[in-house]
Amino acid sequence: MSHSRTSRREFLRALAIAACSGGTAALFPQLRMMGSALANTSSLPGYKALVCVYLAGGNDSWNMLVPFDDARHAVYAEARGGVYNAQSNADGLALGIPTGANVALQKIIDAADASSATNQYFVHPRMADLGALYRANKLAFVANVGTLVKPIVKADYAIAANRPPQLYSHSDQENLWHQGNSLRNSVIGWGGRCGDVVRSSNANQDLSACISISGANRFEIGLSTVPYRMSSNGLSSLSGACNPTPCNGVSATSVRDNALNALLADTYASDFAGEYSRVFARSRDLYNLLKTGLDGTTIVQAFPANNSLASQLLMVAKMIKLSKAQNYASRQIYYVRLGGFDLHSGLMSGGNNDHAALLKLVSDAVSAFWQALAPGDVDAQNEVTLFTASEFARTLQSNGSGSDHAWGGVQFVLGGAVSGGRLYTNGGGPISGFPDQRLDAPNNFSRGQMIPGIGVDQYAATLAQWLGVTSPSDLAAIFPNLANFGSANLGFV
Amino acid sequence: MTRLGTACGALAAWASLAGVGAHAATHDRLFVYGFDPAPDAPATANEAARFLTQATFGPTSADIARLTALGYDAWLEEQLGKPATLSAPAVEQVVNARTAAAQSVSQSQRIQRWYWQAAYAPDQLRQRMAWALSQIFVVSDQNSSIGNYIVPMAGYYDMLAKDAFASYRTLLGDVTWHPMMGRYLSSFRNQKPSATTSPDENYAREVMQLFSIGLILRDMDFTPILSNGVEIPTYDQTTITHTAKVFTGFTWSDAPLNPPNFNGGGLTFAAQYAPMQCFGTEHFPASGSGSNNMRHDITGDDGTTATPKTVVGGMTIPPNQTCAQDVGDELDILAAHPNVPPFISRQLIQRFVTSNPSPQYIERVATVFDAPGANLGDVVKAILMDDEARHPPALASGDRYGKLREPILRLTAVWRAFNAQAQPADAYGEVKMTAGSTQTSAFGQGPLQSPTVFNFYEPDYQQPGPFADNDRYSPELQILSEASAYSTANAYYNFTAKAYQGMSNPPTDRPLLDLSPLTANATNPAAMVATIDRSLLYGTMSAGMKATLTSMLTNLNGASAAEKAWSAVYLTILSPEFAAQR
Repeated sequence: MSHSRTSRREFLRALAIAACSGGTAALFPQLRMMGSALANTSSLPGYKALVCVYLAGGNDSWNMLVPFDDARHAVYAEARGGVYNAQSNADGLALGIPTGANVALQKIIDAADASSATNQYFVHPRMADLGALYRANKLAFVANVGTLVKPIVKADYAIAANRPPQLYSHSDQENLWHQGNSLRNSVIGWGGRCGDVVRSSNANQDLSACISISGANRFEIGLSTVPYRMSSNGLSSLSGACNPTPCNGVSATSVRDNALNALLADTYASDFAGEYSRVFARSRDLYNLLKTGLDGTTIVQAFPANNSLASQLLMVAKMIKLSKAQNYASRQIYYVRLGGFDLHSGLMSGGNNDHAALLKLVSDAVSAFWQALAPGDVDAQNEVTLFTASEFARTLQSNGSGSDHAWGGVQFVLGGAVSGGRLYTNGGGPISGFPDQRLDAPNNFSRGQMIPGIGVDQYAATLAQWLGVTSPSDLAAIFPNLANFGSANLGFV
Repeated sequence: MTRLGTACGALAAWASLAGVGAHAATHDRLFVYGFDPAPDAPATANEAARFLTQATFGPTSADIARLTALGYDAWLEEQLGKPATLSAPAVEQVVNARTAAAQSVSQSQRIQRWYWQAAYAPDQLRQRMAWALSQIFVVSDQNSSIGNYIVPMAGYYDMLAKDAFASYRTLLGDVTWHPMMGRYLSSFRNQKPSATTSPDENYAREVMQLFSIGLILRDMDFTPILSNGVEIPTYDQTTITHTAKVFTGFTWSDAPLNPPNFNGGGLTFAAQYAPMQCFGTEHFPASGSGSNNMRHDITGDDGTTATPKTVVGGMTIPPNQTCAQDVGDELDILAAHPNVPPFISRQLIQRFVTSNPSPQYIERVATVFDAPGANLGDVVKAILMDDEARHPPALASGDRYGKLREPILRLTAVWRAFNAQAQPADAYGEVKMTAGSTQTSAFGQGPLQSPTVFNFYEPDYQQPGPFADNDRYSPELQILSEASAYSTANAYYNFTAKAYQGMSNPPTDRPLLDLSPLTANATNPAAMVATIDRSLLYGTMSAGMKATLTSMLTNLNGASAAEKAWSAVYLTILSPEFAAQR
């Protein structure tokens, strides 16, 4: 029952062909489904990447950007001032106005605001690096963004059809942010649908246009795009098998490797088995494609340690550098994620996991990423736009120790292409401007749950257009509610 | 060291729990039918193994034999009667021993014990149910609020195991009053409203969204109930605000009352897993000298006006009640809500049998759930004995019956199939199971280690491709990625290729497989494959997979018998056919 050496080699060669060429198309649903993709933009010039930084749990962003001027700060401080434990949070949830040298580090104004002499802001004290990027006109804030079906005022809220389904629920609101619209939950995200449109420009069709460093996410799933999900640790080899696969010879490792590839190449009646084998086979193919290049890709910029977001963004920087060097892609969409923002308690605890500590992780990571994109390193500052998202902001009013689920909030956008140094607050709807922070003011509810003035759809569509999704039909398909809003492009990038 | 419960040990345990004493010892269920198989016995060993794959952490030859001898019903009754194997006492002993010897302690101590119980506890069905419940009633050491509470988290898991077959209402109460849940979802030290603060809404929201009724009204078969074509929410934000007031006043069981210190207590492990106490009218009057220490809301919005709390379904909880009355009323209302049977039943079916139960299957189980006096033991029995569980549809292209096996359950199935031998306890009384701390973190899941209260995967996750295209669910696929496929595989390698009896320099931090059923046939690939098929796939291995493994073993002609054996096990644990459970 022994095969000759020749026949084994032929067997290996046959497998190699199956795994590396013919097999590949079968492993990538997007290749099969190209015909059903949106109107493909055949050739997009240059390189561009969107990087979504998802802040999971609901970032209390009303402490990320705070009114500096006395009049509005007093309103803010009163709304957030509730205390039941004076030892741990004497000022409730309110941040004090920066003084002394901190003014220069934290204070920002919107240069385009005619009233900027009085309308002034400060960034969270642990985000001074972002303040500097804002003043360098590389970073913009977008204020009071949230899930909306259409622009509404308070009186419209009572009718369910006027507002998104399941407001205040983590899972539902995260899904709507990922979808880019407030229709009933679907599995498709706006990043993935942008991938459907732009990916035909990419020279390498094996590497998905959508890459996640943080596992499964709805944002990057398109009609015909499935994200490639990497670890921030890079690519590990597979124990007991060949790396890359296949390998020559008749070693036990090679024999096992052949058997594994044969199992993964089979077709399965069970979709559970089929999906499992597709994902596993994809990890083998992309290991073969990326491993050597990724190991040889170095980033000069040092990234902070003990910062999971920084580790993820370092891997994004490497992948951007590699993708450009190897000409894998002209358009890419990345997804990274930091959890822990659901701070019902301990928001201001001063501990290692309070809101200030989380915002410092964000600021440190994003700042290092920006530096890594500089000339001489990745060299893509003008080609990358990073943006934040989070399922909701939180109640202005305290529960004594933290804040609860709310609605509209603040996000930031960073990149060489961003029209930075500005605060974007006008979506063309009835609610605009930096919001009134009096509890139960006309733009919010009794605990300071803000009705958004800007829809996620508008925020996302602005980013999508920068990436290259510009045809009205594509935008209408991805963002079916966009027509409900006053503006399809907020102009920040 | 206990391997697998012997008939006698199991019987003694069951007898003591049931309070029937020595009388039962002469009536082992094994002998009810003499030495003939029970009338409802599985027809084949493979059928038995398939059932045990659903009901336990993996079939063993001993369990197959016992199930065959007892029949399904008696086996289930025996399992339902077994007392809970507990974590906290064992973990506490190890933690104390390590602490006394100035050794570091971490959640690793709890996790080692968890894997030991999964592999060896005799109350397999109860442990499997606790594992399922821990994925619904989630607390997690990934959250800093409880990350340092090692023994109390073991105590939380023990509570789930003890309540695994209790009434749902009992379980919901014990979950709600447990300090680990209190701290995790911040009802712990939550306080009544004041002029400038409102109670924390965290527990009020998640107990409804995740632990009881879900977001929308549903029929008994889980179908959404529509009004003019639109789903009907079970509650709104006003409900949340009112319900939040119910869950106020909780603190440690030993927080001192005289003088009162709401922020005190939690001084011993026992106090950290005993049910919370409430600083309510039980201890302090609603008005008068002690009222300043009363932290539970009894009086309404501004802390002075007596107003009722309007909770789910427009039901009201009257003002001026004690804390225990308020919480009891709220949990009674939730437990009686018509959504609970289908909402919880569907998730339990997903954990044991299939990601996509038919509406009829959900309704049959939910009906058992909803019967007067029913408990979760009845429910799990209904799940496992349902025709849809016992008689799967014929396998045909586009099959979405069954589920992706959880990464942890793939490992425990291999341990139990190949009689993995536990390591001797170390100097601190700990049995090492996990090969260090990083192997099992590669799985994307771990006991009480979910990234959020939404579990490792969501019941409604739809993998893009055939599942999403056909509106079908695939929860466990949510944690399978190109990255986790490799990291999980590499962990399995360390639990197979680097973990078998008779190897040179065997590791001391993980169980060692007994590969002798395979090595005994090392020169007969077909026989080895048949053993694998029987042990891990209950006889379902396809002809193609058999040919691939047989060819592999044939071509491994220069390898040792042990390498052939572990290669076959390793390739099988990585195989798509083993990854899917039908």
